[in-house]
Amino acid sequence: MARSRASAQSVPTRQGRGWAHNHSTDNDWLNTAAADTSWASGPGAGTVFQPASARTSTESRQALCLWLPTFELRLELVRSPELDSTSVALLSDGESTRRTVWQVSERAHEAGVRPGQLVSQAVSLCTSLTLLEPDPAHYDAAVDTMLEVLTELTPVIEPAGRGRVFLGMDGLDRLFGSSNHQIDRALRLLFQVFPAPLVAATRAGLAPGKFGAWVAAASARSGRPVLIPEAHLGSFLTECPIGSLPVDPLVIQRLERLGVHTLGELRRFPEPALVAQFGEDGRNALAWSTAHRIDPVRPWHRPHPIRVSLEFSNPVGLTGTLHSALDRLVERALTRTARRGRSVTGVRIGAHLEGGGSWFVETVLHEPTSDRERIAAPLRAKMAIVPPPRAVETLLLEFTEFGVQSTQTQLFDRKTEGSRATGGLDFNEGEVPVSIRDAVKELKLRIGYAPLYRVVEVDPWSRIPERRHALLSVDF
Amino acid sequence: MNYRPHLKPLRTPKSVVVRTDNQGDPVHVRLPGKPARRIAVVRERWRIDDEWWRQAISRDYLTVVLDDGTVLTLYHDLLIDEWYVQHG
Repeated sequence: MARSRASAQSVPTRQGRGWAHNHSTDNDWLNTAAADTSWASGPGAGTVFQPASARTSTESRQALCLWLPTFELRLELVRSPELDSTSVALLSDGESTRRTVWQVSERAHEAGVRPGQLVSQAVSLCTSLTLLEPDPAHYDAAVDTMLEVLTELTPVIEPAGRGRVFLGMDGLDRLFGSSNHQIDRALRLLFQVFPAPLVAATRAGLAPGKFGAWVAAASARSGRPVLIPEAHLGSFLTECPIGSLPVDPLVIQRLERLGVHTLGELRRFPEPALVAQFGEDGRNALAWSTAHRIDPVRPWHRPHPIRVSLEFSNPVGLTGTLHSALDRLVERALTRTARRGRSVTGVRIGAHLEGGGSWFVETVLHEPTSDRERIAAPLRAKMAIVPPPRAVETLLLEFTEFGVQSTQTQLFDRKTEGSRATGGLDFNEGEVPVSIRDAVKELKLRIGYAPLYRVVEVDPWSRIPERRHALLSVDF
Repeated sequence: MNYRPHLKPLRTPKSVVVRTDNQGDPVHVRLPGKPARRIAVVRERWRIDDEWWRQAISRDYLTVVLDDGTVLTLYHDLLIDEWYVQHG
């Protein structure tokens, strides 16, 4: 049964008694996390394993990886400690039919429930299984808390999905002593914000570069961090499974079918052969496995999103009402002072749901804009694909990424210049403000022609940037 | 005099000189009329393969940050092995 619970809240501090499926066997970590390249998603995703060809002084070569496996499920068990001794599974996000299991507790695992199984399969294997709806707002709040507290140790912090973070440790010896002391300090900081069992489950790995640190953390045991000196990194990686490589899972599958199971075995192949078979992934895989590629930790620039919300007096499930509320929220967010002078490029909509839990979808806008409709339309499309699973109590909107100020199309879109700031009415087609007419006339008198153009859409959704817009000459 | 509106292209790519490392990643870029600058960070990369049915387009796009903080969108035209900078 799906269990209802309180809506999203800040990170709880109560201690749970027992713990979720603990990936303690030798290869479990590989099957559950490393083979899933989505571990490189989340805040800062996409920058996690960028090419290391150019370094800036703010980067750190020595990396500490802190990893809390099944972070989300552990947070749920901290919130509901009475579930510690039961079989629990966290559902994946997505549509209501054919939902799958995302994370499972140890007891559920013993009963045969596995991540990725359909709910119907999981329930038939374990009839006492308690299913929990995911609460991304709660998990993200916990991640924020974790990142905030770790900044006391080092400013060079790079999150890599929930429950996984890389810390840049260059130059900390004089402040905090040996590497072991530095790791102790990092864990002590986590104890300040998380309950003991959650921190106790943390795996820590210290090595040159993020890949080495991640592999070290994944092979570490709770309370026993793995430290790899630079001279031993190559030999340490030799026996590591190829599933630890952050490359396309299909590449891993093909390598395994070819009988390549460890990084040591991968090294035997010449680079041209790997590139011919797997392209860039092949080249990267070889560079990581030979420890020739060291990805420094790059400081993550914490976004300062603009957040607005709308609370409904009664939970709302009607799409039309949600769309109207979305329009109002976009308008409110656009008028925020913090947004002035910037356009919006990333936006996220979420909701606190009736009966607990939360829901989020986000989108990257095709191009920077501060136009309400251009922001709301892709969100409505996303809501149609992944609608809120239950009625909505509070609708939330976040502008997460910003670009430069929008193009000057607004100059042509308002009745008067002054009305641009106050949100004046749109022009009728072909109508041009007096100020523009005057400017054109003056330019023609002075230089004989009007070098004035209006940006017009040609093929706004084209993947080729130069096909999207053009300049149309303005004259009267 | 009759007014005849005309269109001008926007965001047309401009040729740049890029030096790459042995992995093919850009290390330095020289914009037209400016000194070469070091690429500090590659923020994002994506690929566009399109219009194969007429004149094929195959581009490897990168958003890079130069050592002076400038953010540029570069692409590598994979068909003719030339680098370009493109705004927007």
